[in-house]
Amino acid sequence: MITFKNVTKKYPDGTEAVKSINLSVKDGELLTLIGPSGCGKTTTMKIINRLIEPTDGEVFIHNKNIQEYNIHELRWNIGYVLQEIALFPHMSIEENISVVPEMKKWNKKDLTNRIDELMTMVGLDPEVHRKRKPSELSGGQQQRVGVLRALAADPDIILMDEPFSALDPISREQLQKDILSLHKEIRKTIVFVTHDIDEALAMGDRVCLMQNGEIVQVDKPQNLILHPANSFVEDFIGGRKSPWQTAVDVIIDQTQQHVYSLQEFEAGALPVDETYTVKKSNGNFAFGVHKGRKVDMPVIEHGNTLAEAMSFFEQENYSLLPVTRNNELIGTLSYKDMVLHLKKHRRTKGEVIQS
Amino acid sequence: MNSFINVFQERQDIFLEKVWEHLQISIIALVIATLISVPLGLILTRKQRIAEPIIGVAAILQTIPSLAVLAFLIPFFGIGQTPAVIALTAYGLLPILRNTYTGIKEVDPALREAATGMGMNSFRRLSKVELPLAMPVIMAGIRTSMVLIVGTTTIAALIGAGGLGDLILLGLDRGGDASLILLGAIPAAVLAIVLDLILRLFERTSAKSGFRSLVILLSIAALVAVGPLAFGGKIQNDITIGAKMGSEPAILINMYKLLIEDETDLNVGLEENLGKTDLVFGALQEGSIDMYPEFTGTAIVSLLEDEADSNDETEVYEQAREGMSKEYNLAFLEPMQFNNTYAVATTEETADQYDLETIGDLRSVQDEITAGFTLEFNDRQDGYQGMKEVYGLDLAEVETMDPGLRQGAIENGDVDIIDAYATDSYMIDLDLTVLDDPENLFPPYQGAPLMREETLEQYPDIEEALNQLSGQITDNEMREMNYEVDFDDRDPEDVARDYLTENGLLEE
Repeated sequence: MITFKNVTKKYPDGTEAVKSINLSVKDGELLTLIGPSGCGKTTTMKIINRLIEPTDGEVFIHNKNIQEYNIHELRWNIGYVLQEIALFPHMSIEENISVVPEMKKWNKKDLTNRIDELMTMVGLDPEVHRKRKPSELSGGQQQRVGVLRALAADPDIILMDEPFSALDPISREQLQKDILSLHKEIRKTIVFVTHDIDEALAMGDRVCLMQNGEIVQVDKPQNLILHPANSFVEDFIGGRKSPWQTAVDVIIDQTQQHVYSLQEFEAGALPVDETYTVKKSNGNFAFGVHKGRKVDMPVIEHGNTLAEAMSFFEQENYSLLPVTRNNELIGTLSYKDMVLHLKKHRRTKGEVIQS
Repeated sequence: MNSFINVFQERQDIFLEKVWEHLQISIIALVIATLISVPLGLILTRKQRIAEPIIGVAAILQTIPSLAVLAFLIPFFGIGQTPAVIALTAYGLLPILRNTYTGIKEVDPALREAATGMGMNSFRRLSKVELPLAMPVIMAGIRTSMVLIVGTTTIAALIGAGGLGDLILLGLDRGGDASLILLGAIPAAVLAIVLDLILRLFERTSAKSGFRSLVILLSIAALVAVGPLAFGGKIQNDITIGAKMGSEPAILINMYKLLIEDETDLNVGLEENLGKTDLVFGALQEGSIDMYPEFTGTAIVSLLEDEADSNDETEVYEQAREGMSKEYNLAFLEPMQFNNTYAVATTEETADQYDLETIGDLRSVQDEITAGFTLEFNDRQDGYQGMKEVYGLDLAEVETMDPGLRQGAIENGDVDIIDAYATDSYMIDLDLTVLDDPENLFPPYQGAPLMREETLEQYPDIEEALNQLSGQITDNEMREMNYEVDFDDRDPEDVARDYLTENGLLEE
């Protein structure tokens, strides 16, 4: 989908923001770019829609060099969500969303329908909000519109530059969930820049960790944690706020030892004293088995934090629970996994355990 | 207040004309300034390196006193509305230019990046995002310029552009006639306020529609500016006579007009109240006027920057005539009799009390009286400095003051003697008497038509027509006529006609 080939951005003063990087973003993937400030993550993202021109190397979209596209048409097909939200304050919500479709000369009726559809999708009543000015909305609502503006003309790619960093924690969490479910639905290729490792791990299909203009590791979230490429990755991931904030999918048991197929369950050859989960033939979660009996189990989303997962365990008496991603059963999480993870990440000061 | 209402009623018709002229000049200048500054400001935001120098140039234009700009423009554009509009435009550039530049530059960079990132080209970004957001700031600049221009337009009257400044000048010339000055000044202020209100309405809508409202505003303004010109059709004049500020030059040029039109088939146009010597003389050299009445003394001292070789009237005239012809190719026709030179005047009361007849008589009371002189007179060799030498005077108290204030000062008894021009009309009003100058200290200042030689070659009959006035009009007659215009509010043309018919120069 998007391929970087030896891309370098060097400024006239000699600083290299990006050093000969190679990266490919897969079709329909949500890739998070993360790293300490000044690592080149935003530069990398802005090279895609040519807000920044690389001094060396090439970038391809659909196997065509981006320099060969008309720059404006290229940008019409790349949605852009800014950290500052940056809705045009003199335009109504409707006008803000219409900016790109208008440049693409959509007809009025299609546009009106599209606006209705989009606003409804993120829970903004079109009747109420269409004609409002951005200043009449809350920060969270504004960034929702910011996302809609990027989505409006149905682009193949969406760039998000720390889109939630200006929001309060509650709005941020809500929007993260919304983007994830949106992504599940529309399957756009999304490049998402963030400085929040938890956000990067929770949102990304893959995470691209950068340092000093170079890519240190690109991998699935759990691999980044389980198999850090070097001590920088380990430190960067370990430096998070609290192990309780870790996304579940980095610690789930991926050996599938508590996951059985429907056939295996029906064959009846399974251990009676264990708790385990059963998946359908399409890989989706079917049900849990506890003390030999079928039971309903609450399902943990792979993006939930450890703290959130804990609340499910508190409600029920099972020692493990299923974890899914897009309804697919990807593993189980047990009390033991959680305790071991917490033990591994406990921080001590002197002899006193801090967390 | 009553006198103000009277003045207003008397001049209602010319008042409306002046308001309209004022509006027209201001709006033309404002439109041109906007048409220059807004696009220029926009270009500067795209070429930041040259921005500060260019804004600096506009700032320099702003610092030049408007009168100086006008004087500077006369050699190139003559007199009338053209140089006035140019000067006012130059005056209005800075606020619009700076606000346009700043307004666009201050647009949140994130919004600019959003617009670019979404694929807007430079023009679309400007018209859809930057201009609408900068519009309130740009409009504020236009409003500032508008107030500046409407205010400064009053000065344009000095070069014959008309407008409310005509009324203010007239008021100043009549020894500070407050009613007349107010009649010019108040409407100018009201005009500024009304225009400001209109612009503010546009400013409100401009945030929404951006470009469009600016275009609408400009077209309406252009209509107002051009509209009246279309049906204003002027008669083409063969020659144009100018005059400095004041009633005396106005009366004289009306006489010239009457005589020339009586004797020849020429059409004569008049440009009254063209400010001071420099401005009128500039206009004469440039050719926008063909002649104006000048004094022999002024021709030598101010225009030729020479000294009079003698104090004899004929010799002074000859010296001026030769000089003007040689230096400037200008013909100086024969002078009239009156001598509007410096004079030392006192009230009849004081003259009686101290038995004063000549300047020399002041010596006996020089410790008791207070003099009120203009700064210029006080400093001139043919003024107080000469008085000290020639008459051996050393007045105990000399107060220097503005010309307009002398009359008030002597009326109130603050001073006992003042310097004056011999034919000033207030001498009659205040019962002033002129002290004789037996030593001929003050050089003669006789009025005579100063005109372009090429005009004379083209219309040689003019000379004969105007020389009928040669040696006519005494000091007293001139003073009387000035009085009729200044204090009885008579039309200079009527006064001129009456004199000419009474003296058999014009048939009734």
